[in-house]
Amino acid sequence: MRYTTSVTKGLTSSKAEEVLERDGPNELLPPKGTPEYVKFARQLAGGLQCLMWVAAVICFIAFGIEFSRGTLGCFDDLYLAITLITVVVVTGCFGYYQEFKSTNIIASFKNLVPQQALVIRDGQKNQINAMDLVVGDLVEIKGGDRVPADIRIIFAQGCKVDNSSLTGESEPQSKTPECTHENPLETKNIAFFSTTCLEGVATGTVINTGDRTIIGRIASLASGVGNEKTPIAIEIEHFVDIIAGLAIFFGFTFFVVAMFIGYAFLEAMIFFMAIVVAYVPEGLLATVTVCLSLTAKRLARKNCVVKNLEAVETLGSTSVICSDKTGTLTQNRMTVAHLWFDNVIHAADTTEDQSGQSFDQSSETWRSLARVAGLCNRAIFKPNQESLIVVGDASETALLKFTELAIGNMMEYRERFKKVVEVPFNSTNKFQLSVHELEDPMDLRYLLVMKGAPERILERCSTILIKGQEMPLDEQWRESFQTAYMDLGSLGERVLGFCHIYLNENEFPRGYKFDSDEMNFTTSGLCFAGLISMIDPPRATVPDAVMKCRTAGIRVVMVTGDHPITARAIAANVGIITEGSETVEDIATRKRIPVEQVNRRDARACVISGGQLKDMSSEELDEALRSHPEMVFARTSPQQKLIIVESCQRLGSIVAVTGDGVNDSPALKKADIGIAMGIAGSDAAKNAADMILLDDNFASIVTGVEQGRLIFDNLKKSIAYTLTKNIPELTPYLIYITVSVPLPLGCITILMIELATDIFPSVSLAYEKAESDIMHLKPRNPRKDRLVNESLAAYSYFQIGAIQSFAGFTDYFTAMAQEGWYPLLCVGLRSHWEDVHLQDLQDSYGQEWWVSVIEICQIADVLIRKTRRLSIFQQGFFRSVDVDSMEQMSLTPYIQSYTPCYVSFMKGWGQWWFVPIPYGILIFVYDEIRKLGVRRHPGSWWDQELYY
Amino acid sequence: MATLKEKRTCGQRCEDFGRFVWNSDTGTMFGRTPEKWVYISLYYVAFYVIMTGLFSLAIWTLMYTLDPYTPDYQDRLTSPGVMVWPPTYIEEDVVLSYNTSDKVSQRKMSNCLSNFLKPYNDTSQQSNRNCTRGEYFKQEKFEAPHHTKYSCRFTQSMLGRCSGLDDPTFGYNGTMPCVIIKMNRIINFLPNNGTGMAPHLNCTILSGHDNIDMIEYFPTNGTFDLSYFPYYGKLAQPTYVNPLVAVKFHLVKERKAKIQCRVVAHNIAYEDSYEPYQGKVVFLLKALK
Repeated sequence: MRYTTSVTKGLTSSKAEEVLERDGPNELLPPKGTPEYVKFARQLAGGLQCLMWVAAVICFIAFGIEFSRGTLGCFDDLYLAITLITVVVVTGCFGYYQEFKSTNIIASFKNLVPQQALVIRDGQKNQINAMDLVVGDLVEIKGGDRVPADIRIIFAQGCKVDNSSLTGESEPQSKTPECTHENPLETKNIAFFSTTCLEGVATGTVINTGDRTIIGRIASLASGVGNEKTPIAIEIEHFVDIIAGLAIFFGFTFFVVAMFIGYAFLEAMIFFMAIVVAYVPEGLLATVTVCLSLTAKRLARKNCVVKNLEAVETLGSTSVICSDKTGTLTQNRMTVAHLWFDNVIHAADTTEDQSGQSFDQSSETWRSLARVAGLCNRAIFKPNQESLIVVGDASETALLKFTELAIGNMMEYRERFKKVVEVPFNSTNKFQLSVHELEDPMDLRYLLVMKGAPERILERCSTILIKGQEMPLDEQWRESFQTAYMDLGSLGERVLGFCHIYLNENEFPRGYKFDSDEMNFTTSGLCFAGLISMIDPPRATVPDAVMKCRTAGIRVVMVTGDHPITARAIAANVGIITEGSETVEDIATRKRIPVEQVNRRDARACVISGGQLKDMSSEELDEALRSHPEMVFARTSPQQKLIIVESCQRLGSIVAVTGDGVNDSPALKKADIGIAMGIAGSDAAKNAADMILLDDNFASIVTGVEQGRLIFDNLKKSIAYTLTKNIPELTPYLIYITVSVPLPLGCITILMIELATDIFPSVSLAYEKAESDIMHLKPRNPRKDRLVNESLAAYSYFQIGAIQSFAGFTDYFTAMAQEGWYPLLCVGLRSHWEDVHLQDLQDSYGQEWWVSVIEICQIADVLIRKTRRLSIFQQGFFRSVDVDSMEQMSLTPYIQSYTPCYVSFMKGWGQWWFVPIPYGILIFVYDEIRKLGVRRHPGSWWDQELYY
Repeated sequence: MATLKEKRTCGQRCEDFGRFVWNSDTGTMFGRTPEKWVYISLYYVAFYVIMTGLFSLAIWTLMYTLDPYTPDYQDRLTSPGVMVWPPTYIEEDVVLSYNTSDKVSQRKMSNCLSNFLKPYNDTSQQSNRNCTRGEYFKQEKFEAPHHTKYSCRFTQSMLGRCSGLDDPTFGYNGTMPCVIIKMNRIINFLPNNGTGMAPHLNCTILSGHDNIDMIEYFPTNGTFDLSYFPYYGKLAQPTYVNPLVAVKFHLVKERKAKIQCRVVAHNIAYEDSYEPYQGKVVFLLKALK
């Protein structure tokens, strides 16, 4: 034997140990995790962070220059540098902590229960930890087990495995010892690691363990795909580019001006640096981090765990969601949806809790049908379980649950009808039957119950139950059977037929030896009871969520491995295909013309199966995605899922992909945001995804979209605010250098303003509620709707910033004048003001000031505090459409966050606090007029120039 | 983000930029058609004209509301500063250093003082009144011509031997130099809070006690007479002059001493170490050979 193993005795323990030593444990190694320090370093190296590092270095240089020249007036630059670094490091730690926490949540999913495997070693059967399996081990699997490694089957009995996590096929695959195909994925004698054995038993030798298994290879392949940059990272980089450009432009201009006016080179250089540093938005980094992590937290409460903070925003810009069907849109469990008996189709309750039965249960036929469904059923409730856990195949489970609800206590019911013999379902006869004794001990007849493919069942029937009466099954009934069967089938439901017969007492007396192989009993001339159809019903919240997506301009594309008909039925059910939308085929049928003659553009909906997709070129797929707004892809393979994602991305969409299987992991990686399912999802999928839905619920995605959009809006507001503030911080310098007024604003003052007043608004911004129409707008176009665009910059800098500067100077001159320095005296005063040797500088009133008093008297400290207040008015009003709600929400947090600052800053300076209020009102009025114009005349010149 | 990550070559970028500068398809220049540029420029011109107008209005309102005689707030200036003349600095410190044998350095010092005393000569002080000594000169009304208030006369001669009248060198030709101490003026400031006690100058020797033989004050006792207070501001008292005290030091031995001169009054602070000129002045007096 190749693996030095024995087919009967397995490996020897010593040999197994040796191999274990060589190959390592049988588990998927987590993708080579980034070392923690690299993760942390990454937090410190974003676009904004780099900007701040540069600023800090500049500060150090400026400090160094001043220090070496011995003209060190104060330690402003040093403090500034230290503060900048502190901000970067603190926010870095914060972000790192957030990601660390969500990583932990994800890690907690793994290894909840250590997997066990039944292994034969030294001829003995042992339960061992699946981790300890080695190549060559002989293992036994049975229905319900997870396959513990890649196994070559040497013995199998009715063994079926569910390969869906690997290939996406939802049909169970039977496994036999024969090698049927070259390709290991196709052949019948290999069962794969992490798939589930549904029924039967099998024994096999382990051929691959751990990362060398097929699934391990796929997993490591997916983790090899590099992460793309998130849209928000791109936006922030764009913003940083703009800021850096502006800073250098302004700095250089000032430098030239300063040199021209006659400053020394070094002094001009310090001006240059001061301006560059003044441009750095210190608070923005905190805003971004706080916004993202607060939202991540909020999402976690709604069962979305975000692995990568920036993914939150990505979700907001999503324009296409490629959603899985099973489990995400649907409940992932077969449920009885319809019944046909007495020539009427009855609807069953398919909601999650299945509280009530909505159809008439008084009919005799119903009782017979329920009895057949209950008896001819191999599914059982697992004993000794608190909750009802059912073991069995999906449709039998559905039937069991259904009859349990309808009749009650099925286990006991079956006891009463003792099973005599049973013929399990097989693919040749396509039915399943069992023979039972009757409940009434006096009645010695046997009851034969049968279920199976409806047409096969009907063939065996000669009568039909109508209102409890057996009627001959004539053409008319056959006709109505056909109609009902077609109707149910077209709903995408799995239909089963049920029939029964009381076996003749004389022919089959008690003790008759029934033989399941020979079938030595009546199997024709039966009495047809009815049809029951089952479906995996959509989750209750999904139609609403899909609707929300649609109003939010997001396309929901269904990509599933299921049948086109089922897929379409579910799509129609949840609203992915809207009412009245037709596919090309529908139009063809309606107009009675061949499919080729239909104008493809008329069809809103389109169902493409994997087979069709295989024959399509990528252009054709793009075209199909472009021309049909409502798309369903059925019977798709994992590779095709990837193709669909790529096609959407080619069309400029930001794509979110949901998935659970290992096979989905490449698509999850490729997508702009991959969303893995927490319950059904495999570890590989979770590793590849950016976000995990703990409850597998599609509706949670919509919440995420809303939050993501909110973040973008809030960041935009925050940036508008940050940009605005730059101007009133810069103009004092400009005036100081050019007109030589006493310096209105010291370095430290700027810093204090930046940090104290930037971070509070940041936090309150993160808490800001969504504008009411946030989910009624189209998703942003990543190429056009930038975070920072020209009109935003122009509006912030040259309009609001200008008003604020005027406000600041009004305040400055007021304060100066009221202390005794008239505006005209201030002009050109700088050299005297800063002259440390002048102890009797006369003010406008003839009072004489000594130098120290003047230094303290940086009157205009108040200035920016004032202008910041203006921003309170301005804050939050930027993009409002619903002005009223905006007013409430923006003012309250601001007043709260500013009040403590006021108190500590006041110290008797409060009087100048009120000077710029008229300007505040002006900004408010101006902004309202601007927005009014934007709202009233969309698309006009005003809108183009003044909306951002 | 396949959509955003199209790698573009430099040529394409240049081309893009070129199209940005002039796009012949849409007739746009730097992203706007010339017509739109005119509109947006007009918009900004109008915006800034209005803003400048509002700003001017605000400043005008401010000036209109200001009291021309007294500033609205005097919270920064509660206690007067004190300075010594001639004010010569070495770095941050006041150092009065001259060479007894060098005429140039002597003349520099004496010229400074005589320039400083120019407003105090008899002709300049002609228009000012001789006030009653020893009491505040309070004036509620504007009784002087041109709606002003009277100022008290302080003449050079009041400085006695340091007036420069008898000795134009102010003693800098020898070892008995004069310095003049001036207290800054603050509108409506009343020394000793109107108790009627005149503030006086007190010079103490911080180091080099042995090098100073005697300190003489002019006027006697170094008093700043009460009649010079309160000050009503430039507009009300255009001819006001600060009262002065001259101090003559008799240097001996090493001819070097560190001196602190302080104006003594209850309401003149002097103890704040961060404000070296508040209520006092410290200087180094050095006469080189």
